[in-house]
Amino acid sequence: MTSPLSVSSMEALLESAHLLHSSLDLDDLLKHLLRSVMGRLLISKGLIAVSEDGVMRHALVRGIPKLEVGEVFDEEAARACGIELILPIGRADSPEGLLGISRPLNRVVEQEEMDFLRALLGIAASGIGNARSHAQARDLNEALDQKVQELKTLLDLVRGLTSSLEPDDVAQLLTLTLTGRWAIRKYALVAWKKGHPPVLRLRGMDLDRLADYRNYESEILELQEAVRVADMQDGSLKEMLRSAQAEAVFPIVAGDNTTGGLVILGPRPGNLSYSESDLEFGTGLVAQAAVAFENSWYFREAIEKKKVEQELALAASIQENLFPSSLPKIPPFDLAAHNRPARQCGGDYYDILLNPNCQDDRRSYLICVADVSGKGLPASLLMSNIQATLRALLGRIDSLTDLAAHTNELLYASTPSNKYVTAVMLDFDPASGNVRFVNAGHTDCLLLREDGEAHWLKATGTPLGLLPDMPYEERFIEFHPGDMIALFSDGVTEAQDEQENEYGEERIVNFLRPIAHLPAREIVELVFEEVDRFAGTSPQYDDITLFVIKWPKSVESRK
Amino acid sequence: MPNPFNINTAREGDLSVITLEGFVDAHTAPKFENAVQSEIEKGHNRIIVNCEKLSYISSAGLGVFMSFIEEVRDKGGDIKICGLVDKVKSTFVILGFQEIFDIVDDQPAAVQKFSAG
Repeated sequence: MTSPLSVSSMEALLESAHLLHSSLDLDDLLKHLLRSVMGRLLISKGLIAVSEDGVMRHALVRGIPKLEVGEVFDEEAARACGIELILPIGRADSPEGLLGISRPLNRVVEQEEMDFLRALLGIAASGIGNARSHAQARDLNEALDQKVQELKTLLDLVRGLTSSLEPDDVAQLLTLTLTGRWAIRKYALVAWKKGHPPVLRLRGMDLDRLADYRNYESEILELQEAVRVADMQDGSLKEMLRSAQAEAVFPIVAGDNTTGGLVILGPRPGNLSYSESDLEFGTGLVAQAAVAFENSWYFREAIEKKKVEQELALAASIQENLFPSSLPKIPPFDLAAHNRPARQCGGDYYDILLNPNCQDDRRSYLICVADVSGKGLPASLLMSNIQATLRALLGRIDSLTDLAAHTNELLYASTPSNKYVTAVMLDFDPASGNVRFVNAGHTDCLLLREDGEAHWLKATGTPLGLLPDMPYEERFIEFHPGDMIALFSDGVTEAQDEQENEYGEERIVNFLRPIAHLPAREIVELVFEEVDRFAGTSPQYDDITLFVIKWPKSVESRK
Repeated sequence: MPNPFNINTAREGDLSVITLEGFVDAHTAPKFENAVQSEIEKGHNRIIVNCEKLSYISSAGLGVFMSFIEEVRDKGGDIKICGLVDKVKSTFVILGFQEIFDIVDDQPAAVQKFSAG
């Protein structure tokens, strides 16, 4: 049975309705509700419980010291504390909450008061619903703000990283960004690539020993993803991190096992922990930085490589100057020579030197073509060595065999056992046309007679610098007008075509016969063209050297 | 550039005042870091960062504050932040900086904070 509400009740309801709908703060709202009820009915004990995820918990307690806010509502315990009347706030089958009150001082609750309470609670239910939706929307907005902030952070980092060319700059940007995002005071970062000094950045953490990252390298490389230190597998890495009060780590994962690293973060303020979504976000940032680290290392390597190339070019130009800038004119003979290294620096060598011991009326020349084992810079170093040795010895040693033997001893003493030089050396007397030669393990060279007959200048000893105490024999050549001597390195006879066939001795003889009448300079040029034509698209594998000495038949044919 | 970055350091009594202007982002944060570092190296541990002309700060910029707060407080100093415009202030608040730092309205208030405590 319902009784009509008094005017004063109506006024109170109206005021409450206004208040309950004007505040969106749940706490304010509940306080007002309980205040109104307790004041109106003169009650000294009251509580409000609110449903949270289907569980009723105390949201507000007045006059009952035993019950605490946040506890799960327990009807029996409440009644034991003097709560007599328990009413639902909102619909009875799914209430927003419960109101519990003690009996008004010295009387029962009258029917009119019950009606008032029900009406008030009905109004409160919709107010609480509003406040909750509002709180939810606010939480969502906050979460959204955080996400927006994360996105901004990521974009900002990516933009910054594009202009970071030094590994240290990358480390600085990444750590500033992470510490700023999570308000962290302590962190450490180590990143490395084999062949580069490791990057180490520390603040507030005593982790200098990370500079010796090798002690932890395998454990770090095993980390597949970001992890809270508490969840890590036991080991020396975890122990070290715990002692440094680290809370989360992010491996810097790069392409292969030559690079790696770790970002170590200390505690967040206010006892916040690193959530899964935090770890994911951090992983995204660290992945961007990992790429930037790689790039900065590659950039460094490219610069180093450029430097090496410049030095090689310098070495090549120095080496070029070791060859005679021009050959001496020795009439009636016609001389020409050319060298072309396979790489920037080569191991072939030719030279012609006037023997300083000779009298003016009997000038003799040392002519030499040599081939150093190996290629590139190491070969060119040895090549400059033999050049200096020959020039130093010449004039102090008379015979060609002694010169070869001495050079052999000096090279043997100054080079590793797998480095040696093959050489053909001619002692050439222009007055008589006499030629003597020593072939120290060099490829067979050619004497082409006027009638087209080929004689091969075969080895008369072992390569120089290969074995100690080796004898070298000297051979005599009868050189006649119309004859030609062609000294070459194996780059000529062992040049290969696309099917890996060697050019060979037969081809060089057959090629030279019909052009033997041409000037030496032209013959040299034609042989280089011929070798290139034969090789086709296969790359020049070996250095190529050719030295041609012609004795033209008559004064007319020399012109 | 509409908001070029600029940074200035001045001494006011025994306080260092670092004034930030424009954008503190990933590009410019390292300069900010160097400025704070150089004050600390001089033994200046009482630092005010004036942000009246700061129009944007990224996480990297905020990271600079975090990087030094421990150190200056260990040495008996502090970093106080003043003059944040509303838009920038919201970034500080979203990331929880107001719980770690004294954030006040203007430079006199920051000076006051130092003399008070």
